Amino acid sequence: MLIVEAAHANAGASGQNAGSLHFQIERRFLEQGEAKAAEAAAITGLSRMAVDDWRGLEQALGADLHVHMHGGLMVAETADEVAMLERKAARERAAGLSAELVDGAELRRIAPYLSERVIAANHMADEGHADPRAVTPAFVAAARAAGAVLAERTRVTAIARRAGGFAVTLAGAGAGTVQADQLLIAAGVWSAGVGALANVHLPLFPVALQMNVTERVAPFLPHLIQHVGRRLSMKQAHAGNVLIGGGWPSRMAAGDGRFDLSRRPELLAPSLAGNLAVATAVLPHVGGLNLIRSWTGTTAITADQYPLVGAVPCAPGLFVAAGGSAFTLGPTFARLIAAQMAGGGAAAEAKAALAIAAPARFDHLNSFMGG
Amino acid sequence: MIDLAIIGGGPAGQAAAEQAAAAGLSVAVFDEQPRPGGQIARQPPAGFTVPDWLAGRAYAEVRAQLARFEGLGGVAWHGGTAVAGLAAGADGFRLTVVTPDGAERVAARRVLVAAGCYDLPVPLPGWTLPGVMSAGAAQAFVKSQRIVPGGRFVLAGTHPLMLVVAAQIVESGGVVAAVMFDQPLGRCVARALADPLTIVRHAGLFVDAAAARRVLARAGVPVRFGRPLAAVEGSEAVAAARFADGSIMACDRVALCYGFVPQADLPRQAGATVRWQAVAGGWATAHDAWMETDRPGLFVAGETTGVGGAAIALCEGRLAGIGIARSLGRLDDAAAAGLARATRRRHARLSGFARMLAAIADPAEVLARVPPADTILCRCEDVTHAEIDAVLATATAPNAVKLATRCGMGVCQGRMCEGALLRRIAAADGTAPGAAGGFTARFPARLVPIDLLCGLDDVSAEAVAD
Repeated sequence: MLIVEAAHANAGASGQNAGSLHFQIERRFLEQGEAKAAEAAAITGLSRMAVDDWRGLEQALGADLHVHMHGGLMVAETADEVAMLERKAARERAAGLSAELVDGAELRRIAPYLSERVIAANHMADEGHADPRAVTPAFVAAARAAGAVLAERTRVTAIARRAGGFAVTLAGAGAGTVQADQLLIAAGVWSAGVGALANVHLPLFPVALQMNVTERVAPFLPHLIQHVGRRLSMKQAHAGNVLIGGGWPSRMAAGDGRFDLSRRPELLAPSLAGNLAVATAVLPHVGGLNLIRSWTGTTAITADQYPLVGAVPCAPGLFVAAGGSAFTLGPTFARLIAAQMAGGGAAAEAKAALAIAAPARFDHLNSFMGG
Repeated sequence: MIDLAIIGGGPAGQAAAEQAAAAGLSVAVFDEQPRPGGQIARQPPAGFTVPDWLAGRAYAEVRAQLARFEGLGGVAWHGGTAVAGLAAGADGFRLTVVTPDGAERVAARRVLVAAGCYDLPVPLPGWTLPGVMSAGAAQAFVKSQRIVPGGRFVLAGTHPLMLVVAAQIVESGGVVAAVMFDQPLGRCVARALADPLTIVRHAGLFVDAAAARRVLARAGVPVRFGRPLAAVEGSEAVAAARFADGSIMACDRVALCYGFVPQADLPRQAGATVRWQAVAGGWATAHDAWMETDRPGLFVAGETTGVGGAAIALCEGRLAGIGIARSLGRLDDAAAAGLARATRRRHARLSGFARMLAAIADPAEVLARVPPADTILCRCEDVTHAEIDAVLATATAPNAVKLATRCGMGVCQGRMCEGALLRRIAAADGTAPGAAGGFTARFPARLVPIDLLCGLDDVSAEAVAD
């Protein structure tokens, strides 16, 4: 097993995301009408598995990952938003995930820090956050212990598909050519580019987001906070900093008729102000804290917003794991894709679990690629 | 939209404003301090009178510049204002400026960063104890208001400025236990004598240093050479300074003075090319002969380009002001060249002195010493040398070490630890410090209360549209 990394482990979105463990149906699936919301309930199957995976991850990896699963609240400020929460919770319950609607005195008891503007919330006991700084290095250590080799500062420059495998040309610190029986592309926003080297379309669209972090303060916020009607994700990390994000865009550089992923996305002032305004509306206490850093990072989404995880049908032996939600669902993706690649009895079950994310749904895009 | 936003109201910013205003540009100057002057000529608060304020000969030129600047018409002064963000737009730049009352976006066709420098942080045992300060901080108190911020001072370091600071403390009524130079006197003399012509040219500055030594001699303050500071001791606060020879000196303040590093947050945020400054480290912003960086329209002057002192900063400010007027078509090439000629000659002369002072103050030996493993390197996040070294075995990219250890993630944005970390990385992988770049520079360059930023979007909508 060889892991090829162009920069260093954890340099991309895995280390730059804000570490949410969110299992409620995401707002981005709720804002596109009822049909999409109903369809998206299918992803709760993966979320249910992810809850169990995260509960056992520190023990499995033998590392302190600062996993806090003390509950999450998706809040509402208007009657319409409360109705959205009710419909969402009903879908989640039907899929076996328990979210309860709390309001009034009960909401104040659970979350006395919330502003009076918040009139209700869906509470899910398993939600929380973990430390992206710790998770990837723990996986690296575990992979090495299991015999994997990590080649950092090494880029893939060519992929030749051979009968029964791949010849992969590498440049940089680990330059050379390696033969592989199977290939997994898990390169985040760069996955589509790596796919092109193997002559396949991996239909991933890069998106650039921005996040914010406050100075460290004494613990006051035990929950993950999201908003059903506005873009917000907020939690207090293990070190005491409050992380504020929720899908606010930054701007990617562009050139040569495409987005330039080699350049740092530019911070957008309206996103900065908008995000912080939602945060303080929901949680007035953060308004008095100092912002110490805003940063940008890129991830990739697909046309239907579901992840892209599984076998690429037109290229036997080629697998992909990309397409967002990969902090919360990452350990689960990893477990299922490994089972699929290893073959044997567990492969079919893993494939079924990943059905909503299967690359097969886009395989028509590769029907003119000539194999 | 204004023609020129100047960040920093010290000598460089003032000199640039003077030239730009003379060429008819609309100019706004932003500075964190309420009044102009920069750190070199830090003024008392308005309404205060400090007798003999900066009477020394070394201050004559910056005082004259300050008087001219304060008499200028057409320049908007924004004191008490931090610039937290700098980004390029289609037709110029957007600054995010912050006052205690609010934050706003300011649009400018040209920007000059003349943000000065700060004291080189040197992590050694006890350097985070209350009572340890930079010599520059001690000087800011005594210079502007004759406040002596402590009882009994020890000054330790390599930079001759220590003599001046110690004398200012004594003259303000404070007690200095000793001034302890890390390097032997012989090395200072040898490096000064290596360029005797420069000594003759800049005799005035040596006269000031000699005057400071006389003040210290009269007060019975010992000045010692070849006495490296090994640690600052105390449980809750500074109680003593311990030196490499084992001697211990009781005190309640230790002021460290090993040199200076450029303030580089804003040029780095805007994407300008920076270079690691020799010896003392820090990022010096690269520029052309008109002080323009490789981000068109963004200019730099003074210590931002590499630490060289106030006289050089004045020259560079003038050149930048002329260069900016030229870039906006207010001066043709011949007129600009003519205006700049004398300043360029003077800049060249002064560079020799700056080099000699840097050679005398050279902290290379200090920076090469490896402090005990439990010494804190990143003081915001309490990261020790041992924790850094443990990570360096597997990762040496600055951002990777930052992510793995939290070094540089704190409220100072890496200003206090980045240099020390880059030197550790260089020692570990055999490269030059800064060879692989540093931390990614992020908004905001200064802490900003979140409430102040929530109202930013109205102004900036226009910035995004264009």
